[in-house]
Amino acid sequence: MNASTPARLDSGFGPTVQLLASCPLLAASDTVVKALGLSLALAFIVPTTILSARMLRPWLHEDNRLPAAMMLLAGTTACVERSFQAWLPGLGESIGIFLPLIVANLIIVEHSLEHSAAAAADWRKSMVIAAGMAATLLILGVAREWVGRGSLLHDAGRLFGPWAGALETTIFRVDMGFLLAMLPPGAFISLGLLLALRNWLARRSMTPRTPHRP
Amino acid sequence: MATHADVRRNAKAQAVLLVAVAALVSFGLAGLAQITRERIARNAQAWMQQHLEVLIPAALHDNDLLADTITVIAPDSLGTAQPVTVYRAWRAGIPTAVAIRSIAPDGYRGPIELLVAIRYDGTLLGVQVLRHDETPGLGDAFEKREPHWLERFRGLSLSNPPQQRWSVKRDGGDFDAFTGATITPRAIVTALRRTLEYYQRHRQRLFRDPPADAVAGAAADFERTVAPAAWHSSASGHR
Repeated sequence: MNASTPARLDSGFGPTVQLLASCPLLAASDTVVKALGLSLALAFIVPTTILSARMLRPWLHEDNRLPAAMMLLAGTTACVERSFQAWLPGLGESIGIFLPLIVANLIIVEHSLEHSAAAAADWRKSMVIAAGMAATLLILGVAREWVGRGSLLHDAGRLFGPWAGALETTIFRVDMGFLLAMLPPGAFISLGLLLALRNWLARRSMTPRTPHRP
Repeated sequence: MATHADVRRNAKAQAVLLVAVAALVSFGLAGLAQITRERIARNAQAWMQQHLEVLIPAALHDNDLLADTITVIAPDSLGTAQPVTVYRAWRAGIPTAVAIRSIAPDGYRGPIELLVAIRYDGTLLGVQVLRHDETPGLGDAFEKREPHWLERFRGLSLSNPPQQRWSVKRDGGDFDAFTGATITPRAIVTALRRTLEYYQRHRQRLFRDPPADAVAGAAADFERTVAPAAWHSSASGHR
């Protein structure tokens, strides 16, 4: 890697930048169905762009890698958006405006990714990234919809097609629900709780448990 | 044989490479746009058809509503400077109703797109919210929490209640706001009043052109089946 590249995004404050860049993702996590839709899109966009950027990489000068990656990413995202509009119009309508926003998010991920020598390793890495984002989205989606609306997979029928209508579940009937969970601040609060949980689990697994038996 | 490093250092080769990437991406997008165009247009039509069917009962018209549209521009009355689509309903060549894609420009978080159906005599057949960005749980009460709120307008006109009482109760009018929101109901009530006023003033002009089917029966059928995308103005637009 060229050491002269100024302020590599993964040096030190990388995680913070990536966290901030995930804001558009959070907006689409208020229902499970939206989270699923965006996960679906990510599962296609992330590996496609990371692998195609990888193929071009050996031929491109350091300065030209970012513009090339941006074109690939924007193009792929536009393709996915258009496909949603054509084949899943309901879903396209509801996550439509967030899809283009993830370009900003993913370009950071792509740019800060250390490409490895083996294609298989890159493939695996891109799947891990996509799976991680999808898992975060789904956890947030389940939590927010459950708390906010008392349902799961609400609107599945409208968004995925009539066959999915049977998946809609109501856990408890609410009149207004816990509004905060549905509104944007709810996304940040949920994400904060999720991070706290993750840190707690990480710390617990690091400190060796002392056998303490009478 | 040029190596990777040679290509990397050659500015001309780099330019060619970047242009090639851009061209490839563009071709891919253009191809997909071509493949999906008809499907997307059909989706949009099916979506509109659903809303129209709810508002204008089949008994009121014998024409294809999607095929008989005009576009009008009336920023003060219909809430947008853009052309607004008006669907016209006819029965045996006699005008029965219109559905106007009016906009309430002053929603809480942006414009609220409405579909306002008005019977020929000026009474409301009903109203549907096509798109909105109101606060979930508060301003979107008309969707699930108080679905009857929008139905209340059916059968009303500019003389029932009197024109000056066409506002929410807080503004001295006849209409309840729904729980937790004032701005959204106010925006919708005002938009309905403006749309009704517009209809009253322009009814003659809206129905001036004969039904699209009568103008060119065979041609209209042809257009409908072959090019569903051409649904903007199949009769003639005015102004």
